[in-house]
Amino acid sequence: MQINDTLKPAEVALLYQSHHAWLRGWLRNRVGCQENAADLAQDTFVRLLRARQVSPLKEPRAYLSSIARGLMIDQFRRRALERAYQESLAHLPEGEVPSEEHRRVILDTLERLDRALHQLKPRARQAFLLAQLEGLSIPQIALRLGVSRATVERDLAKALGVCYRLRYAEL
Amino acid sequence: MPSSDHAPAQAQVDQAIEWLVKLRFDTPSPAIEQQFQQWLTCHPHNAQAWQRVSSLSDELAGLPTELSRRTLDGSQRQRISRRDHLKLLAVLAVGGSVGWAAREPLGLPALVADSSTGTGERRRLQGSDGSQIQLNTASAIDLRYSAEQRELALLRGEVSLASNSGDNRPFRITTRVGALGTRDGQLLLRENDQGLLLAVRSGEVTLFPSSTSPRLVKAGEVLQVSPGGHYQLATLHGDPWGWTDGVLSVQQMPLGEFCAELARYRPGLLRCAPEVAELKVSGTYQLDDSEQILQLLARSLPVRIDYRTRYWVNVGAA
Repeated sequence: MQINDTLKPAEVALLYQSHHAWLRGWLRNRVGCQENAADLAQDTFVRLLRARQVSPLKEPRAYLSSIARGLMIDQFRRRALERAYQESLAHLPEGEVPSEEHRRVILDTLERLDRALHQLKPRARQAFLLAQLEGLSIPQIALRLGVSRATVERDLAKALGVCYRLRYAEL
Repeated sequence: MPSSDHAPAQAQVDQAIEWLVKLRFDTPSPAIEQQFQQWLTCHPHNAQAWQRVSSLSDELAGLPTELSRRTLDGSQRQRISRRDHLKLLAVLAVGGSVGWAAREPLGLPALVADSSTGTGERRRLQGSDGSQIQLNTASAIDLRYSAEQRELALLRGEVSLASNSGDNRPFRITTRVGALGTRDGQLLLRENDQGLLLAVRSGEVTLFPSSTSPRLVKAGEVLQVSPGGHYQLATLHGDPWGWTDGVLSVQQMPLGEFCAELARYRPGLLRCAPEVAELKVSGTYQLDDSEQILQLLARSLPVRIDYRTRYWVNVGAA
């Protein structure tokens, strides 16, 4: 389904040849770390392979740097989340600390949830957290937020739509 | 990354999401359940979309509540380290339209409290005045002491308070349906669908409902207070204090109510089918093992426990 509207691998290969070194330099100036810049440059091209793009790129460098910028911001946000996660883990009573493997799974899920929450308006965000995390029902949320049930239903559907895209149809 | 050629179409995903909202976050009528079953079986793509959407919701429902709440909130509050901050400014200066800096904080103030519990968790606290406080599952309170008074705010869930009567300061308790005052009371407060349940075990408690005049509540009384501030004696099918001893203690409780009660202690969803909702349950159950309670139900009543997903359990006719 997506096959038709992504760039062809050959096109990406060409872009890679012409702009990869430039992009790595661009990133290095911004993140200040050679290895991190190389990783991010690599990730940028991986994104490019999966991105929907019908027409050939007119401004390839502007496009590449906008993807790279998004990745950098994801990385900043992920670091903030990871730090908060480590701190929260440290607050847990000993018996409640999840196993190492489970900890990774939880962090991954939280990271997606965090990204989804950032794409939502405050009300939808709260409704979604109250439903998913706190286990409140639609009537309870409607009461709590002072809005109609239909509004809560719409907010929840919107939030789930965002989560779905992040989970299954990542750009 | 699942391969995209098997991905269900957006229309099916949207429908699956609509169904999930109706089924999972609301109490669906049998008619809705039936329509859902028809939708689910009428096309394999529907089933596929449903599988993805429901497992997505399951992943989130399986998150440990307290840890997740703290993490999400913490990542918002946490100042991005100075180094990162500068780099971020550099990115924004180039990009301009990214909008990170302009984004509002997560909007979680009510979710972070002085003391709180996650789903299935219970906690015992002692106030600096010597009062004993217990939080039930998925609950949160704020506690403040000043020279003039002691103050407890119930932010969500259920709390029991045994006020230390040796302390002369009045204890003021705020809830979403009104305030309460006591000095020596031992009381229990629980938010529920109808407002607030108030039980007094000993001492005297004064209820200040939001719209009507104060009412003195005496030891042994249990009141249901509506959001509008109206109250009446509560009808109970069990001991509201049971959880403070780690048990769910019920008498002739309709199974539907019992499942709703049990669901408070479990992540995810526990639903009772209407045709068995009126069966009666009596007994004392250990709260720490809700799986076992379900197995006990299946043995003592004509019901069957179906695990629709890991976090979505239906109790239906056997």
